[in-house]
Amino acid sequence: MSEEMRGTVSVITFNQVDKSFTEDRKAVKGLSFTIERGEFFVLIGPSGCGKTTTLKMINRLIDASSGTITINGSNHTDVNMHELRWNIGYVLQQIALFPHLTVAENIAVVPEMKKWKQDDIQKRVNELLELVGMDPDTYRDRLPADLSGGQQQRVGVARALAGDPDIILMDEPFSALDPLVREQLQKDIKKLQQRIKKTIVFVTHDMNEATLLGDRIGMMEAGVLLQVGTADELKRNPATPAVEAFIGRSFEQKNLSLKESLIPTDRSEYIRTHRDEQRVTVQFIINEHGEWITTFNDHNELEAMIPIDASSSVKSAFELLESSHLPALPVQENGKVIGSVSYKDLARALV
Amino acid sequence: MANFMESYVSLFQERSDLLFNSFWEHVQLSLVSLLIAVAIALPIGILLTRYNRYSEWIIGFAAVLQTIPSLALLGFLVLFAGIGTTPAIIALTAYALLPILRNTYTGIREVDPAIVEAARGMGMNSYRSLMKIELPLAMQTIMAGIRTSMVLIVGTATLAALVGGGGLGQIIMTGIQRTNNEYILFGALPAALLAIVLDVILRLTERGTKRNRHASSKPIIAVVAIALVIVLIQPVVSMFKDESDLVIGGKLGPEPPILANMYKLLIEEETDLNVEVIAPLGATNVNFNALIVGDVDIYPEFSGTVLADLLNEEEFSYDEEESYQEARDGIYEEYGFHFLEPMGFQNTYALAMPRELAEELEVSTISDLMPYTNELSVGFTFEFMDREDGYAGFEDVYEFSFSDVTSIDVSTRYQAISNGSIDISDVFSTDPQLVEYDMVVLEDDEDLFPPYQAAPLVTNVALQQHPEIEEILNQLAGIGTIEEISELNFRVDLEDEDPEEVARDFLVEQGLLDN
Repeated sequence: MSEEMRGTVSVITFNQVDKSFTEDRKAVKGLSFTIERGEFFVLIGPSGCGKTTTLKMINRLIDASSGTITINGSNHTDVNMHELRWNIGYVLQQIALFPHLTVAENIAVVPEMKKWKQDDIQKRVNELLELVGMDPDTYRDRLPADLSGGQQQRVGVARALAGDPDIILMDEPFSALDPLVREQLQKDIKKLQQRIKKTIVFVTHDMNEATLLGDRIGMMEAGVLLQVGTADELKRNPATPAVEAFIGRSFEQKNLSLKESLIPTDRSEYIRTHRDEQRVTVQFIINEHGEWITTFNDHNELEAMIPIDASSSVKSAFELLESSHLPALPVQENGKVIGSVSYKDLARALV
Repeated sequence: MANFMESYVSLFQERSDLLFNSFWEHVQLSLVSLLIAVAIALPIGILLTRYNRYSEWIIGFAAVLQTIPSLALLGFLVLFAGIGTTPAIIALTAYALLPILRNTYTGIREVDPAIVEAARGMGMNSYRSLMKIELPLAMQTIMAGIRTSMVLIVGTATLAALVGGGGLGQIIMTGIQRTNNEYILFGALPAALLAIVLDVILRLTERGTKRNRHASSKPIIAVVAIALVIVLIQPVVSMFKDESDLVIGGKLGPEPPILANMYKLLIEEETDLNVEVIAPLGATNVNFNALIVGDVDIYPEFSGTVLADLLNEEEFSYDEEESYQEARDGIYEEYGFHFLEPMGFQNTYALAMPRELAEELEVSTISDLMPYTNELSVGFTFEFMDREDGYAGFEDVYEFSFSDVTSIDVSTRYQAISNGSIDISDVFSTDPQLVEYDMVVLEDDEDLFPPYQAAPLVTNVALQQHPEIEEILNQLAGIGTIEEISELNFRVDLEDEDPEEVARDFLVEQGLLDN
């Protein structure tokens, strides 16, 4: 792609794009939107909403039935399909590293097709492994099966970046990973994107992930793009009841996990078996059976304060924190205190 | 067991030439067929993954090929491909297609769709994705198919002997014919060994492709190259052999090769023709089909077989002279083949008993047995019991029956006679065992058994090109008694002598050949 084209601000433009797999049902209809250069653009929606179809139409794994898709100013069906794909990185939900090729060989696939020199390819492989936080000497010659899920997807990202593409497509890349690893990769990909300034189109069904990563979010439902905007705009001014409902649902789902956000008794700074006179912060006193006895705050005993149940929602925990003017609450299950939860803990659970 | 080992080892020492030649032919037949099968099935299997609309039809067709009984297929192929290695290779290739085709197809189809999508999404075209991703990932399944085909081929290649294709089948067929276990194992063990060795080579190749990642196709190329070299070093014997002027066939068993060699010796004695004997060469259908397509010019046939099997006559004369004429005229009218003058013996069903007992009872014909029906114990083979020209029709013709008749298996009848558990059994009148156990054939004085007179069956073309052979072969007319022929069969079958030498001795003895 020419330098002149790189100059244009919008990288990907959908114009009245329809796609139907069967005659009577359209997978997506009337898609029109623009993705800016260097933007982290997230497509979100419930499963079957057409977000993955939309993503795959960009690199022509799926061809549109009607309408046009413009990439860097030219209709993307005018370009050689394979070369188009060399310049669009692709990260899959299933990770799908080539299991018979080493880490280095997996990353080298596109540079080889682009006929780079062997030296340049090897340099690029090392550079990319470092970029995704993996030591080249340790991992270059390993097979995918020897890596953990998180490491595999790091290689998946490196592979997508290998040919120095303008655009990277990510199709729910972290959904197969366990929560801790997912969180780390989300942070890393955000940092990475800020560093390399690539245009990323990212598909997810997780509103928290979308909020965390996306510069802008495109909300889809039933094949239609309902609204495009920042996370904040979507939350504050949902264009339709469907957007509001989806965002609401997303947070409600999150509200169920009070138990996950608490700090357990043995690590909590608020829970103790005997009152510490020297401390001014709130103290929850429990007996040897783990039962709550009383609460102290600023040397005053708060008799009215009782623990919140572990099955309560984050929302009610939040409300209780507000009304009690305390920095934290004790959480109990089956009559025993199992930990404490603070504003900080709840906020962490939301992201 | 020790005895068995001893005879096995001595067989090995005596016939190691035969073994090495047959083994070599077997290796070549197997490799040629496997290479052709891979060359056909692998690309088709790959194409089917790209156009899988046709896959069920084509894989179904390969499956149908595999269900055709091999003996029928081989006999049938002789009509199109003649005799020799060609029909054998065609049949073996046909059998080997299915496992390779199916495993190639399913192996590629079963590659994780996400991985194929990753390859496409990264901009690989169909060919690159196939070579770099799909084929390597399907390789294990494909190699398993090739190994299955290989074992199938090495096993089935033993049948190549039936169409003159050579190989270890020659030895195994001889062993089966002679119910000689050493001989069977002499051919079967190397065949099994070959299958195991080839399997190991293919396994190592497969493992080599995995270990050596950067040159994944090198071991395969190396193995294919070696296979090609083996195939081409010394081309399969009859494929590029000098054309001989006349080819003489002959069925399984000791007798047809002896007779075929008699024809050859006589023709070569009196003409400058170059005659080749390809015998034993399968059953009647292979020899006759080879005659039809002209790959074989002459083979010894029996008048009874001509009438019953080749002309499908349901009723024919049991008189020797008349039945011969019927056969001669019929086969000439229908196929234009010449059935020359018959020899003096018949190879037909007969009743036989130990010579000692026959002399003691003064019995020489079947009718002579009448006074002893209650004293003699009789053992008949299952087929003989059932046949109208066997015991089922016996009483109608001879007007007596035996009181003590048991059914026995073909393979045990001579042992049963030698250990005295039976006195009389049905035999073929020139069986070599008649000599081994010193038995006499009783004359069929009431014509219960149809005549099976041996005579050369010659194509019209051969006779037109070389009219002199009619007179040469007719020198054999009326020559040879059942005792003499049994003796010759005995020498080949049980003494393991060369049929050509045995034939020469006989002709010299008869004054037809100078020493």
